[in-house]
Amino acid sequence: MNKNEIKSVAGLVQKSAEEFGGKAFLKELVKGEVTEKSFAEFYTDVRKFYGYIKNKYGCEKQIHTAVIGPSSYGWLVSWFGTVCGGNTAVPLDAQLSCEDICELLVRSDTDIFCCDPRYEKMIPAVKANCPNIKEYISFAELSGLLEKTAPADLPDVPADRLAAIVYTSGTTGKSKGVMLLNSNYIDNAMCQDNESTPDDTVLSVLPIHHIYCFTCDVLLSLRYGSTLCFNDSMMHIPQNLKRFAPTIMLIVPMIAETMYKQIKAAAAARPEIPIAMIAQSVFGGRLKTIYSGGAYLRPELQKAYIDMGFNMAQGYGMTECSPRISTAAPADKECAGDVGVIVNGCTVKTVDGEILVKSPSVMAGYYKDEAETVEALTPDGWLKTGDLGYVDEKNRIFITGRKKNLIILSNGENVSPEELENKFAGYDIVGDVLVYSEDNVITAEFFPAAEAVKNLSAAETEAKLLETVDSVNKTVSSAKAIRRVLLRDAEFEKTTSKKIKRSQSAQGRRIR
Amino acid sequence: MLEKIKELICNYVEEDPADITENSRFIEDLGFNSYDFISMLGDLEEEFGVTIDETEITDVHTVGEAVKYLSGLKERQ
Repeated sequence: MNKNEIKSVAGLVQKSAEEFGGKAFLKELVKGEVTEKSFAEFYTDVRKFYGYIKNKYGCEKQIHTAVIGPSSYGWLVSWFGTVCGGNTAVPLDAQLSCEDICELLVRSDTDIFCCDPRYEKMIPAVKANCPNIKEYISFAELSGLLEKTAPADLPDVPADRLAAIVYTSGTTGKSKGVMLLNSNYIDNAMCQDNESTPDDTVLSVLPIHHIYCFTCDVLLSLRYGSTLCFNDSMMHIPQNLKRFAPTIMLIVPMIAETMYKQIKAAAAARPEIPIAMIAQSVFGGRLKTIYSGGAYLRPELQKAYIDMGFNMAQGYGMTECSPRISTAAPADKECAGDVGVIVNGCTVKTVDGEILVKSPSVMAGYYKDEAETVEALTPDGWLKTGDLGYVDEKNRIFITGRKKNLIILSNGENVSPEELENKFAGYDIVGDVLVYSEDNVITAEFFPAAEAVKNLSAAETEAKLLETVDSVNKTVSSAKAIRRVLLRDAEFEKTTSKKIKRSQSAQGRRIR
Repeated sequence: MLEKIKELICNYVEEDPADITENSRFIEDLGFNSYDFISMLGDLEEEFGVTIDETEITDVHTVGEAVKYLSGLKERQ
């Protein structure tokens, strides 16, 4: 695909249909059976959805369509049918409470509400709280609606047309509506080359409303002509690995951890079989490349996967950058603790330790939130990522923490809590840890790993944790040393993407 | 059923099945992360031939609760 010809999402869908036509674009399980849609069928259905909106609402006003549910063909047709017609999609996290969803529907000025049948039950509450919504479409009705509608010719959508408002999940504060233009999505989907081929099969397991999944699974499949397979449930990844035998998979570190445990358990049961062979069998038999993103991947875990024969690459990005800022070349086996090499067309600099990014992938701003927009974007177009880190001579990014979490001690010393937290990654006793400042004292609050403390008394657990803290303290300057330690009995509260909410108050018992 | 569940649990954590009781909590006591738990639900579906609704499982925190939930599900399905 000649990437210079593509200016909009509509252009990408049209081009994929021209180049890959009858080839399978999407495979998904419907009532236990695998169904398949070609690139050409998808293009037709996108034009039908646009035709439906155009016939009903005209072309004068830009329509906002909220799309809610797990990955499905209906989700894709609703999103692309909206955006390819020059309208704006609002993908929402299906795991949010009904109250939160209603709030985002109002804030995003949603006109049409499209949802998976599983979320139809929230429609009465949405109707009561969001009086401006004009229409409700369940994906269950979608095929009937498309059958009755003729495909319309897609308009020439300008590159600077707002394609989507994507709400950040955020570990702190209120979620923000990231405005992504057609040009943002296209730049990010086109910034690298030779990432996949039409012979590749991608198993998509992450939530589709998340930009990482959307750009890297969906848009890249359209670009390269790969076949995209939807995992029907997080419960069924092992079964779907066998069913679809993917060659590429995007995951988050937590999935990598669990899969590794399963591989180790299988290898322990069959010591005569090489672990690489067992790993390949667990991953369906054809898997070559695993991309990890969304959170910190332990270099040891990355290396374990590489040693089992996989290309295990880690990337870095954020919704505000559509999302990719850096991505590792799958052939990079160094595991230096970096988050990949800066992608083409993206410029990175650091100011006071914070990573700033300038690229055509950077958002237009936050929807109806001028104050936050001014906070995030400099007047000359640099996106302040809020992440602390540096770039090495190989153009690789290293992240050391989040600026907003930075602890500034009374002596003026800056301490990144994430930098300290990551130092506990290699210790078995530590399940989760949160580092923060309390009364100007660096404090670490721990939830121990159950497995590591199962045979220990409470006193032994405390002693071992304190010993661990002492070991970590020896690796940092005395100003950064952890002086207060709390131990908690209950897990930390986490976001829907399983990150610890940093704003929660201390619940642990003080043991130092 | 309890013995089979214990066996499946040991695919995720290095635990002696004898030490797992009905009162063992998946996350706090056995050290599951949230994806371990979800993945094990898929194993239970296969093992017991049932279909689990993820939204129904939010009240299951202990091994005993899992046994009770699955027994009920087997009867219903």
